[in-house]
Amino acid sequence: MEQLLEFFTDPASWSGDTGIPNRLIEHLAIAFLAVLTASAIALPLGFYIGHTGRLQMLGINIANIGRAVPSYAMMVMLLPVMLGLAPVLGYDPRLGLRFLPIFLAMVLLAIPPILVAAYAGIQEVDRDLTESSRGMGLTERQILTGVELPLALPVLVGGFRVALLQVIATATIGAYLAGGGLGRYIIDGIARRDDGMLYGGVVLVAVLAIGTDVLLSWLQRRLTPRGVRIATELETERAGAAAP
Amino acid sequence: MRNSRRLALGASLLASLAIAGVAGGGALVSAQDQPTVRIGSDGFYESQLMAEMYAQALEANGFEVERQLGIGARPARVEAFESGQIDLTPEYVGSGLGFYVVGSEDEELAAIEVSGDGETNRVNLQAALDVAGVGATVLAITAGEDTNAAVVRADTAEELGVSSISDLAGVADQVTFGLPPECEVNALCRGALEDGYGIAWPPAQLELLPPCGAEMAGALEGNAIDVAWLCSTQPVIAQNGWVVLEDDLDTQPAENLAPIVRNDFLEGVDGGADAIAAILDPISAAVTTDVLTELGVRIAVDQESIDDVAGEFLASLES
Repeated sequence: MEQLLEFFTDPASWSGDTGIPNRLIEHLAIAFLAVLTASAIALPLGFYIGHTGRLQMLGINIANIGRAVPSYAMMVMLLPVMLGLAPVLGYDPRLGLRFLPIFLAMVLLAIPPILVAAYAGIQEVDRDLTESSRGMGLTERQILTGVELPLALPVLVGGFRVALLQVIATATIGAYLAGGGLGRYIIDGIARRDDGMLYGGVVLVAVLAIGTDVLLSWLQRRLTPRGVRIATELETERAGAAAP
Repeated sequence: MRNSRRLALGASLLASLAIAGVAGGGALVSAQDQPTVRIGSDGFYESQLMAEMYAQALEANGFEVERQLGIGARPARVEAFESGQIDLTPEYVGSGLGFYVVGSEDEELAAIEVSGDGETNRVNLQAALDVAGVGATVLAITAGEDTNAAVVRADTAEELGVSSISDLAGVADQVTFGLPPECEVNALCRGALEDGYGIAWPPAQLELLPPCGAEMAGALEGNAIDVAWLCSTQPVIAQNGWVVLEDDLDTQPAENLAPIVRNDFLEGVDGGADAIAAILDPISAAVTTDVLTELGVRIAVDQESIDDVAGEFLASLES
């Protein structure tokens, strides 16, 4: 506890490249970049599957395989590839060491929850609604963006929530491969037997993860269409009243 | 796979029995008399390999072995050892000694020297453990050694004209260092670079990577770093034609390996320290620098399992 206090009150913990602000930015940068990239891949695929009902097996399999791949092994496997590609593609080899393997492993980690949320969210929209929309003369695109997407939004945000939480927690192991972020405190703290630094890192990651979760769960509630919210509340009330 | 493993285990069993029989005479005792030994090691392969050899040899002599291999870097492993979570661990006598004495606030400890001679370091490590109140015994050292080495690619050595760490100090701001995370608090790493060679700390460009591992070597090979803090027995050095920079100020001590054993564990052993020494000393005697390098190739390059490599080496001692 004392060491933890020492870590947080030491001015050196708050300044420069190894300071908490910079580590936090590094951590958030890789987490958001990874989730954004994963979304760019998973959302179109998820919407397509959800809307048309095609390729469902593919979606399920991608999600399951993605979940089974351990991130650290992924990083270690990607390391020589990314270092080897540096002279070919002309990027700084240091990117191939401390950024790309970690970033790509995090993208792969973030794809399954977003993909599942995207197609499950769309699929769960009441078929009567989409049918009547079709009957009213809406185009398929209008049905997707005007009916299915708003109704699927809470589920979708739930997917982002899971993805971001997993990435924030898992990006810490990137510090094994010279990566930045809050994981540095954990890896360095263990190596140096500096308990203040180690637990400081743990606390920071936990606070960041919980903070992000609270923020997104608030967003999730805000984004639930009013009609759905009222219907859900009524249902909950009824269920509550029915219980003995 | 399963069969070959069993075969290796069986062979190692025989080998160890033979060793113990030859060297110790009285070391063979029935299984139920001996306590369980908890063996720990550092994270990288060589430390795990030595620990695995100790483990298999002790198992062959009737000990129950609990493996806690790959604990991490020295500070973590030493704490596990001092607090009694592990009983036996391989230690590099130079760095292990340096951990206790270099920069120590205790005058008696600070007076103990880290030398370029392995046996002197073993004796001094024993003295340091005694002074520090760690009840432990340092057994015989290996014939061969593995030192920390600052390694550069051949093209870097040529371009910058560096062949020693002193040369490197002159161009320290032009290169990217790859150092282990614990270097910061290691008197033989940061201390040697900063106080010994006058390289400003932290280096302007620094990447932190696990010591003596494939990650550090891969980063050097892929030009992500220019100077890697490696182990001199790492096979990649010769394979890639890399240049080991001369430690011209002799900052790195002799690093033979020795098992260190907690005394409270030895008290429970039938035959005491001599019984353990009779089992492990012949292994240490057979582990030369060439053996460390050769077995390193099999594990780090050929990806053979540490279990098998340790088992086959023990079996080879028989003949």
